Amino acid sequence: MNKICCSFISVLRYASTEKAYTSSVVLGRRLSFKSDLSLDKIYPNSRLKLFTPPPPQSTPEKFSGYIPINQLEITYSRSSGPGGQHVNCVNTKVDLRFKLAGADWIPEKTRQKLLQGLQNKLTKDGYFVIKSDMTRSQQLNLADALEKLRKLIREYEVEKAAPTEETLEKLRRRHERAARDRLLVKRQRSLTKSSRQGPNITDL
Amino acid sequence: MAHLRESAEKALKMLRTLPRVQLSNIRPNPNSKKNTKRGRAQHSGDKHGAGNKGSGQRQNYMRLGYETGNNPFYLRFPYEPYYKGHHLRRQYPPISLLQLQVLLDTNRIDSKQPIDITTLCNSGLLRLQPASMEYGFQLTDEGIDRFKAKICIEVQHAKESVIAAIERNGGVIRTAYYDPRSLQAMVNPSKWFEKGVPIPKRLLPPQDAVEYYTSAKNRGYLADPEEISKERLVLAQKYGYELPRIEDDPDYEMLISQKDARQIFYGLEPGWVIGLKDKLIIKSKSLPEEQANREEKS
Repeated sequence: MNKICCSFISVLRYASTEKAYTSSVVLGRRLSFKSDLSLDKIYPNSRLKLFTPPPPQSTPEKFSGYIPINQLEITYSRSSGPGGQHVNCVNTKVDLRFKLAGADWIPEKTRQKLLQGLQNKLTKDGYFVIKSDMTRSQQLNLADALEKLRKLIREYEVEKAAPTEETLEKLRRRHERAARDRLLVKRQRSLTKSSRQGPNITDL
Repeated sequence: MAHLRESAEKALKMLRTLPRVQLSNIRPNPNSKKNTKRGRAQHSGDKHGAGNKGSGQRQNYMRLGYETGNNPFYLRFPYEPYYKGHHLRRQYPPISLLQLQVLLDTNRIDSKQPIDITTLCNSGLLRLQPASMEYGFQLTDEGIDRFKAKICIEVQHAKESVIAAIERNGGVIRTAYYDPRSLQAMVNPSKWFEKGVPIPKRLLPPQDAVEYYTSAKNRGYLADPEEISKERLVLAQKYGYELPRIEDDPDYEMLISQKDARQIFYGLEPGWVIGLKDKLIIKSKSLPEEQANREEKS
């Protein structure tokens, strides 16, 4: 009994200097409690500590979806519309902008397509702007703005397939038919108008 | 703004020309004075608004909901399927991020230690009643824009945006399940220790909750930590913040400290008896399985 008491008193002496969340200190050795359900038993091949994984890299063909937030300029302002004190006082609108030409996180090909497609939408300094005030919350609006950006990049990334011969043929027949109908209506109208005129001496 | 200035100038102009305020040219606010006149003669007199005969005039009204004999609406339906089993459903009393921030700012909770149910109940401001089907706390997103604290917190449920808010500030959030018996011990540890009962083993979650607590998206305590690390990046990209490098944090040890799935208290194992009065921990003599459980930390 004495031996047990001594070991426990030494436990408490060590325990008082250690923080509560760490493992119990017994006889100078550090032990940690691992039951039948400890994580190393459920996931034997896993790194059991939290770490920061490296971000996925975009290949020249495919945009990975990773946007470096540091390279975007994000500002907040008050939203418009009804909402009383909340909309008057809280900065829920998100304005996200970046220089499209200098955005090296977008694959080169897609970036060129974007520059071409959005050239009328860029500011004088070459910034592309996305705004969002969809929700009441600033965080959700920022998420919405980023989602819009990703959607846009993916839209421009997709190479639209050239129309097939059948489609082209269909379109040509459509145009032709439309022209035919238009001329028919025009001729009929002309006939109506001319029948309203009086007869000429040559008609008799 | 222009029309405000104009109306102010108009008001001042009026003030210069109008006579001074006297009892003779003011009146009380609308509906502030009630007419104290009694009902007499033609208009409020005679039957005094009670009509002719019947329960109305005799002040002997039918009970509320009575439909003059037919089966009333409030008695037609003996039960409704929508509330079936409501008394058995798990409840998670909410704590808003605003409350949490206030508790941290006023030093009611130490941000340098991991936070769990015991910490929150020991602050004295939050109470949990396991007997009323309350299975723990849930973190809500009220005050999410103002939350700026780096903490290691363990709750029972949290929304995605709340998880993002905590990880954005460099903290760690986990969701864990505690069965009602363990909860009773957690909510008031000193009272539990007075019983002299060994610390119980925490049980696994029920079938319908297993999926929630094993998924990395919800930061479950039974989820793979590697998957959780990946999900942290995913959430950072979704909500638009740079994920702070947790390994480079000076408080890394504290932030990644996690209880075992069978553990209820930090630093205490199931099976121990805590004697607060004598300041003792009594452990059972080591059984082979318990010795196998104790592994040396390298």
